[in-house]
Amino acid sequence: MSAEIFQKIAETNTWSWIMPELAMGLLALSLLVLEVILPKVAHGAIPRIAILGQLVILGHVVTGICTGTLPVGEAFGGMLFFDETGQLFRVFFLGASIFVSYLGMVSLDKRTLPQVEYFHILLVITAALMLLAQANHFVMLFVALETATVGFYILVSYFRHTTVSLEAGLKYLIMGALSSTILLFGIVLLYGAGSNPALAGSSEDSLNFGNLAGFLAANPDDTLGLIGMILVISGVAFKVGAFPFQIWIPDVYQGAPLPTTALLAVSSKAAGFAMLLSFSKVFSALEDWFYPLLTALAILTILFGNFAALTQRNLKRVIGLSGVSHAGFLLIGVITARTVDWASIAILFYLFAYLLASAAVFSVLVHLNKDDDSDLTLDDLGDLAKKNGFLGLALAIGVGSLAGIPPLAGFIGKLLIFIAAFKAELYGLLGVAIVGVVVSIYYYFGILKSAFFDLWKFQTDEEEVPTAIPGIDLGFLGKLAILLATAGTLLLGFYQSPFSSWLLG
Amino acid sequence: MISLEQYIVVSSLLFAIGFFGVLFRKNTLVIYMCLELMLNAANLALIAFSRYHGGMGGNLFVFFTITVAAAEVAVGLAIIVALFRKRQTVEVGELNELKN
Repeated sequence: MSAEIFQKIAETNTWSWIMPELAMGLLALSLLVLEVILPKVAHGAIPRIAILGQLVILGHVVTGICTGTLPVGEAFGGMLFFDETGQLFRVFFLGASIFVSYLGMVSLDKRTLPQVEYFHILLVITAALMLLAQANHFVMLFVALETATVGFYILVSYFRHTTVSLEAGLKYLIMGALSSTILLFGIVLLYGAGSNPALAGSSEDSLNFGNLAGFLAANPDDTLGLIGMILVISGVAFKVGAFPFQIWIPDVYQGAPLPTTALLAVSSKAAGFAMLLSFSKVFSALEDWFYPLLTALAILTILFGNFAALTQRNLKRVIGLSGVSHAGFLLIGVITARTVDWASIAILFYLFAYLLASAAVFSVLVHLNKDDDSDLTLDDLGDLAKKNGFLGLALAIGVGSLAGIPPLAGFIGKLLIFIAAFKAELYGLLGVAIVGVVVSIYYYFGILKSAFFDLWKFQTDEEEVPTAIPGIDLGFLGKLAILLATAGTLLLGFYQSPFSSWLLG
Repeated sequence: MISLEQYIVVSSLLFAIGFFGVLFRKNTLVIYMCLELMLNAANLALIAFSRYHGGMGGNLFVFFTITVAAAEVAVGLAIIVALFRKRQTVEVGELNELKN
């Protein structure tokens, strides 16, 4: 280590490039300050300030992308790498965070819990995930991932007056820490392999993605590197909920507060795929191992997720397990990215469609006025469409998009992935995926059936008066949020050419 | 002189002990200790690689992992204590409210 290295590092510290993340951190801190200085009656404004601040940051990033002024290249001594995919993940995480802020606002208003900390931690998690998507170094990746994961532990057990939330938090804690350690040990082995001066292509900074890819290309049959790669993929497979690392999903999704479930379903999963996309470049020299591993994971994940969801009655468990199968479809996208160069765009499109559809579904669920949202079952939807047509329609659009019904965005997302798989000649995978889609229609329509055709249900107990949903008051923000999510889903379903041409161009 | 291989074997053993501890032990606190054991196995391997291969990257990384582990313990023990207050138990087998 000499003075020149420090000088080089200092010169690449382009703080202005991580303005969105810095702004998120500052916003998170200022929320805590606001809680102290504002009078108690004005505390209700803090979540709105959080949403407003995030909208401003989102606007900043989106204008940066649209005007083409986004930075490209390495920063912070190779810790971060900025490109278009990273920018889109930024937009994705910000969008998800705004929706979860809204859900949190509605959900926490019904309870006597500290509110501000929820939004604080949410913003910190989002900032960490935004950095994670642009990490170009394993140290950066690990620290960003852990910042997000530790935040998730807190958010999962946030409803600490209920045992289920705490229990879900404990389960997530144990499984999350286990997967992080597995990932860490994999990183350590990769470091050990890449820093060995006796081998060609080794470097002092062997945890940099570029250096590591160079080393693996020079020594593709290095045992240590191979084991490291398998451990790293296992750690990431946990985050995306791929089989056999999905065991935590149903329990944690069920026990976690509804906004946290949404955040886990959307952001945590997308973070895993942001990592997998960068790993597919790092491990390109190990493709004889990397891709068969992912193929096996994808097949098992799709089959398990869909078949396990069939028998579930709890809404959050259904959504969790359907999320497992979505992870499987996205894994197919990662595999096809080996040969089809636009597959990463298909993955992003799929993720955005998934975000909008999940936003619609969760915004409806959060308005169902259940005290304890962990035992939200299909029966609780009972006749939703009759009681509030707007919510029923939003649920139909959201669930339809998740199921992949044309002409909704989810259909186009699946179509793009399937076309990519067809072009990559992965016919076996494609067959499994189509079986998965067909099976998934069953449980998605189970949700719609209980929302729309509850009259068909056998009246087993005549005296039991069906508990009516007491007049759902959406409020202006609620209507706006649901409208945005459903309109976005419809728009991306009908009219994706500007999106894709802008992505490709 | 202890060789690099010996360090790596020890650290892999620690990792394996921790891993199977997490899978098979029933007490949440013991599981938590096993997780810490796995983290420290990774730290040991990092230091050993860093020492034998030259370069400070591994040593630096250890500081990050220790910090992360501390944050994890702070949050984790808080959750365990809160759960114990509710349920008066930290045995994994008895924590079974989340069922289909």
